[in-house]
Amino acid sequence: MRAKLSDKHQKALNFFDSKLNGKFITHLNSCVHCGLCGESCHYYLATKDERFMPARKVDLVASIYRRYHTFAGRFLPKLVGARDLNDETIEEMVDVLFGACTMCGRCSVHCSIGVDVPFLVRTARSMLVEMDLVPKGLQSTVDAAINTGNNMGIPRNEFVDTLEWLEEDLQMEVEDDNAEIPRDQKGKKIMYTLNPREPKFFPLSISAMAKIYYAAKESWTISTNTYDVTNYSYYSGDNEGARELTDRLCKEMKNLDAETLVLAECGHGSRAIRWEGPNWVEKEYPFKVITVIEVIADYIRSGRIKLDPSKNTQLITLHDPCNLVRAGGIIEEQRFILKNAVENFIEMTPNRENNYCCGGGGGQLAMSEYNERRVESGRIKADQIRATGAKIVATPCHNCIDQLMGLNSDYKLGVEIMTIGEIVANALILGVE
Amino acid sequence: MFTIYHWIFLAGFAICLISCLVQFFKVILSGLPKDFSHPLGKTLPAIFYSFTGAMSPTKKETAYLHLPTYTAGIIFHIGTFWGLFYLIVLFFNIQLPEWLGYSSTVLLIISAICGLSILIKRRIVSKLRNLSNPDDYISNILVTGFQILLAVTILNNQILTVLLIYSTVLFLYLPIGKLRHTIYFFTSRIHLGFFYGWRGVWPIRKHNT
Repeated sequence: MRAKLSDKHQKALNFFDSKLNGKFITHLNSCVHCGLCGESCHYYLATKDERFMPARKVDLVASIYRRYHTFAGRFLPKLVGARDLNDETIEEMVDVLFGACTMCGRCSVHCSIGVDVPFLVRTARSMLVEMDLVPKGLQSTVDAAINTGNNMGIPRNEFVDTLEWLEEDLQMEVEDDNAEIPRDQKGKKIMYTLNPREPKFFPLSISAMAKIYYAAKESWTISTNTYDVTNYSYYSGDNEGARELTDRLCKEMKNLDAETLVLAECGHGSRAIRWEGPNWVEKEYPFKVITVIEVIADYIRSGRIKLDPSKNTQLITLHDPCNLVRAGGIIEEQRFILKNAVENFIEMTPNRENNYCCGGGGGQLAMSEYNERRVESGRIKADQIRATGAKIVATPCHNCIDQLMGLNSDYKLGVEIMTIGEIVANALILGVE
Repeated sequence: MFTIYHWIFLAGFAICLISCLVQFFKVILSGLPKDFSHPLGKTLPAIFYSFTGAMSPTKKETAYLHLPTYTAGIIFHIGTFWGLFYLIVLFFNIQLPEWLGYSSTVLLIISAICGLSILIKRRIVSKLRNLSNPDDYISNILVTGFQILLAVTILNNQILTVLLIYSTVLFLYLPIGKLRHTIYFFTSRIHLGFFYGWRGVWPIRKHNT
């Protein structure tokens, strides 16, 4: 007999049922419990905790489906491992689906069958949103973005001040009083977004991009109202919040009459805005969206900027952000850039779409309750970095940078972590026509 | 000449087929999800790659890190599909060369050993045991048993009735247990290929930078 569901559980189940389209049904029915996916997951590899195997995560979600939507699950739940949607199941879902998965998708690429694990995990997270069960830290990051316009809650005047002093620095560095960091200018070709961590903690990455735009003589601007490239609602599973944040960017693009939305070095932000955003707002964007990595690569190819690799002599390796690479298709551009900007480059193993997650995705950096697990799961990345012997780790993602900086300290890697923009800015040859 | 067991078998097969087709078309008719984003790649080559290159042991980590299990799984599946073909042969009493019968028996025995080894592995490896439910064991036992029984029937046609009854049970169980991945494997690879193709990740490009 199935237990009667509480109103809260019924609401969650109704949401789950509303998502049962062909894709969801397919992935809920596909896992054969071969268990080979464990070795593709950095959580399982680092901890050997069976609960963290991707197949176990899939099973948690699929067991609900089996219980309420299959013949065997309704009448013989133990036979097929069908579970009631009750407090115990939900507690396990919160712990494992939020606290032990970065939705990096590495398991899906290598799955024997082809189960889209991040898709199932995110849909289950959305179900947990219906019950207000998003971990506090992640929810407050989403709330900050919704309520203040950026996930770090930076006041607008503080942001403008930061841009102003960065502009003065830029003028001194390039020895040109006309060099600028354009703010809220209408009719520019590019509206450039930022990760709020940049103005808050890493302003030099803004300077680096401003220098590159200056060298390329780009027509660009930053909105001081709507500049946040991140969308933590993607991680929390809050579709309404995700739609709201996407919609704000669309409106600002229209307001500033810009042609192209350029996404800063942010893996999940790129994914959320470029790939998921149009589906949240349920329409195609009336403007072009590309990542800043593609922009820089294009500057190099077209000769708009010239680089001197001898300005970056140390051995550099590259970390592939999952959302930008495996789930975003930006795989070779950053390699092309680095090979033009540095003298010594070494790939880590494995790399590209097979690279391991650093452990900072999936909203993990915002969920302090799972800090210990996050750092432990990062051991796989730390081992990869150490094996390269590199002195600098480049990565086009500020989330990854935060996690890598933590791993650098926790695992005593002795490396420097840099954005692609910083490396390129360092190699720029200015004053070349 | 058809006996009552032939008709029972046919009924079981028909129920299985209809149930599988209903599940398959339910998924297929809902189509691929509407994607409003601007594609970076092509989906058709990626779906093709999803069924080919992405499944190869050179690309798939679950294959090259677990080569014995992967190989056993492949042989087990080849044995199953060959077994289904041979079941039709026996059902309609089609005469095939003797050497083909002996070869099929050998294949089915090897395949059954593979199935059995996967079953034993599931039982003794803790992470697999804890992941499994009774359906995982029943599904394997049903298919492995089918292969063994078929191999014996090829050598001794007298037990065809037993094979037909056993196969009926197998067909009736297929749509309700794990064996229904027969249907969802294909839709799963299509969806995954579409996803990675749309975003320009698959097919894997030549590294030219």
